[in-house]
Amino acid sequence: MQENQHIIELKYLTKYYKGSNIPAIDNINLNIDKGEIYGLLGPNGAGKTTTISMLCGLFGPTSGNVFIDGMEFQHSSEKIKSIIGVVPQEIALYPSLTAKENLTFFGHLYGLKGKHLKTRINECLELFGLEKNANRRIKTFSGGMKRRINLIAGILHKPKIIYLDEPTVGIDVQSRKVILEHLKNINKEGTTIIYTSHYMEEAENFCSRVAIIDKGNILTEGKPKELIATKGEYTDLESIFLNITGRALRDE
Amino acid sequence: MLRLLSSIYKELLVLIRDRAGLAILFIMPLVLILIMTLIQDATFRTVKEVNISMILVNNDKDSLGEAISKGLYASEFFQIVEKINGEHIDEETAKELIARGDYKIGIIIPERATEAIRGNVNALINKSFKSFNIPGVKKRTKKSTIDVTIYIDPATSNSFKNMVMSSLKEFTSQLEIEMFFKNFSEAMAQLIPDQKPIKFESFETIRYKEVYASTTKDEVLPNSVQHNVPAWTMFAMFFIVLPLAGNIIKERDDGSAFRLKTMPGSFVMIMFSKIFVFLGVSFVQFILMLLVGVYIMPAMGLPQLEIGPHKIALAVMALSSGLAATGYGVAIGTIATTHEQAATFGAVSIIIFAALGGIWVPVYVMPHTIRIISQFSPLHWGLNGFYDIFLRGGDLMVVLAEAGKLLIFFVIMLGIAIVYNNYTKTK
Repeated sequence: MQENQHIIELKYLTKYYKGSNIPAIDNINLNIDKGEIYGLLGPNGAGKTTTISMLCGLFGPTSGNVFIDGMEFQHSSEKIKSIIGVVPQEIALYPSLTAKENLTFFGHLYGLKGKHLKTRINECLELFGLEKNANRRIKTFSGGMKRRINLIAGILHKPKIIYLDEPTVGIDVQSRKVILEHLKNINKEGTTIIYTSHYMEEAENFCSRVAIIDKGNILTEGKPKELIATKGEYTDLESIFLNITGRALRDE
Repeated sequence: MLRLLSSIYKELLVLIRDRAGLAILFIMPLVLILIMTLIQDATFRTVKEVNISMILVNNDKDSLGEAISKGLYASEFFQIVEKINGEHIDEETAKELIARGDYKIGIIIPERATEAIRGNVNALINKSFKSFNIPGVKKRTKKSTIDVTIYIDPATSNSFKNMVMSSLKEFTSQLEIEMFFKNFSEAMAQLIPDQKPIKFESFETIRYKEVYASTTKDEVLPNSVQHNVPAWTMFAMFFIVLPLAGNIIKERDDGSAFRLKTMPGSFVMIMFSKIFVFLGVSFVQFILMLLVGVYIMPAMGLPQLEIGPHKIALAVMALSSGLAATGYGVAIGTIATTHEQAATFGAVSIIIFAALGGIWVPVYVMPHTIRIISQFSPLHWGLNGFYDIFLRGGDLMVVLAEAGKLLIFFVIMLGIAIVYNNYTKTK
């Protein structure tokens, strides 16, 4: 185990998908400290999902290293998986199961059990205003409710790091507000959050630091307010984003 | 262990909540074995029981016509039709009716057919006795042939056609023997004083006794149920591949598989929970199909399924077949990227395995190369094992080899799924 203060370290990280000679991630170096809310911003196909996938251990890099809390997936996969929580963009839940059944199943996979798990589920449901819907099947939920349960499934075990892939996409303002507020509170308790989004205004207010990536490279990185200040002619993150990634439409 | 148990419980809940899917999973195999057994029952019954309509146009009106007509009526194999709307059917009408598929077969006995036989018999007698110069025995006449035309519906099976031909040849030979004997006896009576013509009588010196070989003392009579229930049960059990592969693909499509991959717990653990639940389903399917054979089929006029004394062997075969099927489902679900791929490949490959395995046509009648290939079909192993139990009275020791092959198939399929899953991590 490496002794360092960074909870996530990417060293010379490169990823080529099989059959492609264009790198999805091109030799990037990145350190994320404990307790940060780090935003990975970029247009479609920039390399955000590839980076998050490697941070989750879904696949390994072509070269370079990923250190999570000082550990690498090839040696400590199960340990790393127990300290991370992933909230995918898709509603990754079982529609025919109730909210409680879904959370119980995912809780068991994280090693939670018995009274502790029950208490934690109730606590989370209450926190996100879903306690009355605990025994309803997911398929009967609204989009916002599904997204909140999707989020709870990723934070149930109180992970050290949470990966959020577009957590507020396609939901109403109220649900978005609730989700972001609670994520801020979770972060205040010491949890590191890695976040991807296309909502620049949301990222500007939510993240402590952001990296704008495109074509597998980090184009710029820093605290949102500092980035805006250093690039004098721009007043918000979106303008910077458009300036450095271009205005041309992108495919996935 | 908690993770595995929780995964099994989750799979059970998902399965139970899909009421329509569950009904299809259990009802369709039962419908399949009932329909297939009812259809195939006819091929196991004697032709007498099936009673097929046949047109007979007898233009001979003499001994051969009478012998064939009498023989066909007496055999009760066929329902003989000689008239339609009170009028005798002629050759042209018969041909038309059969061409239209209204009747399967028609026999046209031409005029003077008996004359032709009589002439040939006389020719032979003449040849035998020509040096004796017996009064009454005519001079040698010319040998002749005459055609009895048999019109056949092209959709008629070859075996049925052969059976009719063989019956006709038997009637004709019998008549020829009788005629020959009668004429020969008369000629002898002329030659030997005080010798009266002897009447022909047939005697069955050789009798044929059919015994179905069995490894036990009890003889199990093969019938449509004993053949079809194991065969179609195997076939239906393998169709568990489709819902299982669909379950894996659905989990991948809705993002749950992505979440599971980021959580503690291995791919093998997740797959084992699915295998456990779907193996249970296939075992329940198996029991239900046996119960249909024992209780429902007799009520529908079919023979009752004899399960026999070797229930452990049966359970071992059912579990091995279920494991082979679920292993195959896991491999297809892991490799296929869409429901369409899994459903098409899964269904077609099962039908190919079934065809090679001898579900439709027995393996021993297949061409040599196909017979070799069929040795690699899991449905062939399963079917052999079930036939060992249901038809040959085999016990656990007899079916161990087949069960072993099915288990090896399961391990290989699971291995393929694991290797492919690891390969996707390096993409």
